[in-house]
Amino acid sequence: MSAESLTAALTALQQYDWGTDTAVLAAIDDAIAAAHSNESVRKDLEARLIAALQSNLSRDAKDCVCRKLMIIGTAACVPAVASLLDKPEHAHMARFVLERMPAPEAAQALRDALGKLDGNLKIGVIGSLGAHRDTGAVAVLAPALRSNDAAVARAAAWALGAIGTADAAAALQATLSSADGNKSPMIDGLLACAESLLKQQPAAARAIYQSLAGDDQSRLVRLAATRGMLACASAES
Amino acid sequence: MVTSRIRRRGDRSPNTLGFFVMTGISQATRREFLKAGAAVAAAPYVITSTALGNADRPAASDRIVMAGIGIGNMGRGDQNAFLGRKDVQYVAMCDVREAVREKSKATVDAKYNNQDCQAYNDFRELLARPDIDAVHIATPDHWHAILTIEACRNGKDVYCQKPETLTLREGPLMVAAARRYGRVVSGGSQRVLGDYRKYVDPVWAGELGTIKSINVNVKPLPMLCNLPAEEMAEKIDWDLWLGPAPWGPYNSKRCSGAYSINGSSWRSFSDYSGGGMTDWGAHHFGGALFICDVRELQPTEINYHDAADGPWLSYRYPNGLVLTHNRPKTDNLAIEGTPGEKRPGKPVPMYKGDNSIYGDFIQCVKTRERPFRDIELAVNTAVVSHLGNIAYQLRRSLKWDAARQEFPGDDEANRLTDRARREPWVL
Repeated sequence: MSAESLTAALTALQQYDWGTDTAVLAAIDDAIAAAHSNESVRKDLEARLIAALQSNLSRDAKDCVCRKLMIIGTAACVPAVASLLDKPEHAHMARFVLERMPAPEAAQALRDALGKLDGNLKIGVIGSLGAHRDTGAVAVLAPALRSNDAAVARAAAWALGAIGTADAAAALQATLSSADGNKSPMIDGLLACAESLLKQQPAAARAIYQSLAGDDQSRLVRLAATRGMLACASAES
Repeated sequence: MVTSRIRRRGDRSPNTLGFFVMTGISQATRREFLKAGAAVAAAPYVITSTALGNADRPAASDRIVMAGIGIGNMGRGDQNAFLGRKDVQYVAMCDVREAVREKSKATVDAKYNNQDCQAYNDFRELLARPDIDAVHIATPDHWHAILTIEACRNGKDVYCQKPETLTLREGPLMVAAARRYGRVVSGGSQRVLGDYRKYVDPVWAGELGTIKSINVNVKPLPMLCNLPAEEMAEKIDWDLWLGPAPWGPYNSKRCSGAYSINGSSWRSFSDYSGGGMTDWGAHHFGGALFICDVRELQPTEINYHDAADGPWLSYRYPNGLVLTHNRPKTDNLAIEGTPGEKRPGKPVPMYKGDNSIYGDFIQCVKTRERPFRDIELAVNTAVVSHLGNIAYQLRRSLKWDAARQEFPGDDEANRLTDRARREPWVL
């Protein structure tokens, strides 16, 4: 990988669009491979990708930049990427970067965006916080369980289930008891929490299962709760 | 007399509890669904000989009520296989292509000589039907996890075509959903048992001694899709076809279900598939793991070899087995045993029910046993493909912690265990 070929690839991004031969970007992939063992290469590459993202590129080109930042991006790129979270054309690929990034700044950016978004963009961020298993997001996800947008509430329930902590379970329990409408996503989230808690906190898991084993639940849920209680008994013994 | 011994969603309790539950839902309720989807039938109910069954066909109450999602090339074959079974009542299908819906519905209606098959564009409407026991899924791979998990949440058993997953994170979530709701979930490679018996039998009989290594040759790697926009030449719900994948313009090659993996089908592209590594890898890696009896394991190391003839991989398993991928000058499924050693033989796992992967699934739906390609085993095969794709992408060796489902201390590789899904799709 030469500096010239990387520069050429980054220059090619300016004309890149649907239909362009992807081979023009090969040098960026070479640089990513080289960056693993060379921090200065990684830092330089990230800076150039941030600059590209902030320039006037096509949607397709910005998608490509996000795909690369997904692998090597750090807290340094978070502000540029997070600025795309409210842009319908770019929000998904921005989450490509942030959802997978371990830097706490990434999760914080997703949390910060949550209150500013509605509809699908909000659902996307909720899903990313769940996939990120961001334990710090429970407090901002809990209010979304009561959203008037059923799809938002559903996504929040699944995200809390993915996070799977006792706090997440408590948020789901608190809302479930007073919820109207379709409770299935919250129950699914609770069952997921119980599975996460089973090994380390079997008593907490058992309490969740017991709460879902009553005759007011569907047969599918009662059976799931019964299986869970059997698993708890096994774990506790 | 109409029997009350009729199953309903969730009534087939899991074998972990060891009993079946029958409910009092009436035969009429099911027939109403068969006749008019979710609408309440207004016409008087007439019991037919078809409903009651005969010597050749179980009564409707004893058939598995099935539907299909994604009825393209593979889905059509799956549909025909299930439709041909006397113990299946096929009631609905879903596809985002209008022409596929029309053709598929016509196939089902012709089989039953009625107009009852319901055709859906949106899978959520199909999965919400309480009368459906099981679904088969043969969409592009980027939909498999969401559909399988949502089917489990709705109390359906699932036959999911291979490759079952698009990312590493999806597999454990699919397994968890199956176990959570006590669902029978089968993966789809018919070749794992069907094509490799000549290798399986001597190895499981102990004739080759301890197996040291096995090689799999599959290609190519998945590529980024950057096809240009085309005028839409078919009636297709493009947003729903893309689903959780990144947005891209309609192009007939992007969404083609052709079996080629050379850039002219979705199987070629990383947003929808793992390329040849997952497509044929599901068969060959699946066969290799079965031959070597490591279907329940995942590798701990993936070693990247940058050879002059091109890169290749060697995976190391906890029991010492080495699985190689595209090892130079090595045949597909070349097995290295231990000369002079003979190990005790063991029985080879087989399909349950009749001798096909479809019969295996249906039998397990009835008995609540785990199928031959139980989702957990199928996921373990897919893991090999995904680990390989990540090693090739990063061009270096990797360590894999199967229990934690992560690459220890490897930030870059861990990012590639999953990808964000396009809103509003959430996993």
